Amino acid sequence: MGILRRALDALYLAGGVVAALFTLAILVIIVAQMIARWTGNVFPGATDYAGYCMAAASFFAFAYALNHGAHIRVSLLLNALGRHRVKGELWCFGMGAVISSYFAWYGVRGMFESLKWNDISQGLDKTPIWIPQISMAVGTVLLAIAFWDNLARLIMTGHHGMRSGAIETGTE
Amino acid sequence: MDYVLSISIFLFVLFFLLGSGVWVGLALMGVAWVGMELFTTRPVGDAMITKIWSSSASWTLTALPLFIWMGEVLYRTRLSEDMFKGLSPWMARLPGGLVHTNIVGCTVFAAVSGSSAATLTTVGKMSIPELNKRKYPQRMVIGTLAGAATLGLMIPPSLTLIVYGVTVNESITKLFFAGILPGLVLAGMFMAYVAIQSWVSRDWNPTPEPRMSFVEKLHNSRFLIPVLLLIAVVIGSMYFGWATPTEAAAFGVIGALLLAAGQGSLNWHTFTQSLMGATRTSAMIALILGGAAFLSLSMGFTGLPRGLADLIAQMGLTRFELLMVLLIFYIVLGCFLDGISSVVLTMAVVEPMIRQAGIDLIWFGIFIVVVVEMAQITPPIGFNLFVLQGMTNHEMGYIARAAIPMFLIMVVMVFVLIGFPELATWLPDNLR
Amino acid sequence: EKWDMPLAYAASNFHSENAAQFAACVTENSGGAVEIVTHPSGSLFGGNDIKRAVQSGQALIGERLISAHQNENPLFGIDSIPFLATSYDDHERLWDVAGPKVAEALDAQNLHYLYSVPWPPQGLYFNQPIESVADMQGIKFRSYSTATARMAEMTGMLPVQVEAAELSQALATGVAEAFISSGATGYDRKVWEHLSHFYEVDAWLPRNVIFVNKDAWDGLDDAAKGAMNDCAAEAKARGLQMSKDYTQFTLDGLKEGGMEVGRAGDALVAELQEIGATMTEEWLESAGEEGRAIVEAYRASQ
Ligand code: NA
Ligand code: NA
Repeated sequence: MGILRRALDALYLAGGVVAALFTLAILVIIVAQMIARWTGNVFPGATDYAGYCMAAASFFAFAYALNHGAHIRVSLLLNALGRHRVKGELWCFGMGAVISSYFAWYGVRGMFESLKWNDISQGLDKTPIWIPQISMAVGTVLLAIAFWDNLARLIMTGHHGMRSGAIETGTE
Repeated sequence: MDYVLSISIFLFVLFFLLGSGVWVGLALMGVAWVGMELFTTRPVGDAMITKIWSSSASWTLTALPLFIWMGEVLYRTRLSEDMFKGLSPWMARLPGGLVHTNIVGCTVFAAVSGSSAATLTTVGKMSIPELNKRKYPQRMVIGTLAGAATLGLMIPPSLTLIVYGVTVNESITKLFFAGILPGLVLAGMFMAYVAIQSWVSRDWNPTPEPRMSFVEKLHNSRFLIPVLLLIAVVIGSMYFGWATPTEAAAFGVIGALLLAAGQGSLNWHTFTQSLMGATRTSAMIALILGGAAFLSLSMGFTGLPRGLADLIAQMGLTRFELLMVLLIFYIVLGCFLDGISSVVLTMAVVEPMIRQAGIDLIWFGIFIVVVVEMAQITPPIGFNLFVLQGMTNHEMGYIARAAIPMFLIMVVMVFVLIGFPELATWLPDNLR
Repeated sequence: EKWDMPLAYAASNFHSENAAQFAACVTENSGGAVEIVTHPSGSLFGGNDIKRAVQSGQALIGERLISAHQNENPLFGIDSIPFLATSYDDHERLWDVAGPKVAEALDAQNLHYLYSVPWPPQGLYFNQPIESVADMQGIKFRSYSTATARMAEMTGMLPVQVEAAELSQALATGVAEAFISSGATGYDRKVWEHLSHFYEVDAWLPRNVIFVNKDAWDGLDDAAKGAMNDCAAEAKARGLQMSKDYTQFTLDGLKEGGMEVGRAGDALVAELQEIGATMTEEWLESAGEEGRAIVEAYRASQ
């Protein structure tokens, strides 16, 4: 159990780190494109690559953001439930698990469909679309795993593994 | 009545999922799924992924994480504290005091960024802790921020105006010019409201700022130089043609990192923390944007927005009545859709109405932007409310209530625009 | 049955107006068996997604600028080889030869080709008078495709990649100083606010293709197919006329906006033709035997 727990947490963190690297990559690509332009050179497909990095920065971080409580929700009713809050949380994580699994199923399927239709980027980059869509397939699956993980923990221990979300008060 | 049934189902599912505490992005996906299952025989999941992928892998969206990152860097350095050190001596004596920094900050940053989420996170990251430290009424801090951040859409560059301009074939340059004066007037109205509140509100007891002589004030202003420099570089990069509005965000991040390094507050820890923080926040917004894109697709298949606009077209209204009906129509739509989606989904029907009524399309663009700005702060789906909830510990209901006065001011702004159309039309007509 | 038809361009664009008339025609002539609802402005699916959406049945019919997909198959770019077919008549003859081959290629992608309408001819926008290729040296040229980037390279211009949404801003701030497009784009975007010259070089006439999901097409009865085909034939002819009419209208509009509008000088045209010949050769290399056969058949028909 301990190993599984640590492995899962490492997985979510890894997703977050990869996403952060893609955020950094956006910056690098945009700067490279500007420098290329100022010096009379071309960086073909830069805008497309930046777009793929944008997607990767989002998808890879979904699960990581969930466990940091970054994804927001309306918790008015949950707070009002008082000691019955666990039941409300069960509903939320249950729905979360179902919807994120649906999302993950089609996220993976979407990548394979792009492969099947031989979908190629319409920009200067000419990338087969399934390659950047790996981020979508992996990221949505990670999110679904995180939801089932939290749901399982909630059922077994009565607590989910989500941290409180406020960024503003803490200095971290 | 088909529409009544479909609207009721939509609303029920939406309120049920959102209200019961399901995460906003996933709740939007859930309600969009219900809409598509009910109203079309097309494969729902595949269409969902097509739409979410193309909305995620977007070049124009890349400015968002970069601006958020810039905000995170500034927040983790002494820069925001410094900015307040420089500003507070000047503004503390004004009625409304430092709450004005929210509005001025958003107005200035609106000239840097085309989106309201980026404006909100950058300014809020810096101002909320400082204003809380000085014990300004929480409701005012949150409310003004939610309202003023929407100026990001009105003051150029503006993503909404670009989309509107492309949709109705109007000059984007003219639209940009048209947004300047109304944006400043709206900012002025927000500030007037803050001033009035500071006189009438009983819980307005901020910590007094130390008294300073004029020379001291001037001396303290040196703290403003770095931030002003940063803003000047970002805006300058666009207006001198070094960067497109999307690329300007890169100037912002690099500038912020350089300033932090110059201050000695940049180290491996603050760098990684700011980057990870920005990644989390932008992932949060991306999930909601993905859900909103799917919801907008679902709305397109149901034909609801267009059907409602069609109903309005058949009513045979006078110009003023038409504007009033459209105002209400877009406010209602804005409760459930983001601004760009409501423009794109309805303009095919609304544009001919407007042309037929003899309403200037440039002016109408500004009208639409004000209304779309309102949509940012109306529940249940209001992006500024979401972003603020992510940034503070407050419930969405609290934030929405805090933003009500700003919403009302925007309604007043619509009437100001109707009464003084030159506000929007004078600059674009005379600046060439 | 209701068929949603995603369109990439604004409702007032002539392609969208033509599609709306086509939709009404099909709805009426099929006796309601197929009711087509158009969704302009990319409000259902954006331009980039329309082909994929129709292929996989997410929408059953759609319209797309076919050359956008030439990365998949060079054949889809045959309408936009610079200076191969430079008038409406030439272009229609090119399409008479190429259309069936494109339809075959689409068929292999689960799409049934219905009809196609050309955009007005592509001309060059500049912020200064241009008399020869030498004058173009160093000008920042907005490129959005392999062909436009290659063209910039061959004329000594600096290709800058600018997305459509940022075009106006890029022109206003000097990020881009020139681009190639139809008179319609310049008219719609009110380009005279930033640029001064439009040269009608008629480089090519890109086409919008209207296609149907093949499974949906095969599922129609003969009456419905007949209604579709009749309406498509009408729409093809009507769209061509609209395109021609719109060309003159937009050129007049550009003039009215204050731009210098006119044919390019003979010297410039000759130089561009030469570049066009090179680019045609390059395209032929990528397109293989089939492409060569089409271009030869087109040249033989002249
Ligand atoms: Na702005
Ligand atoms: Na709203």
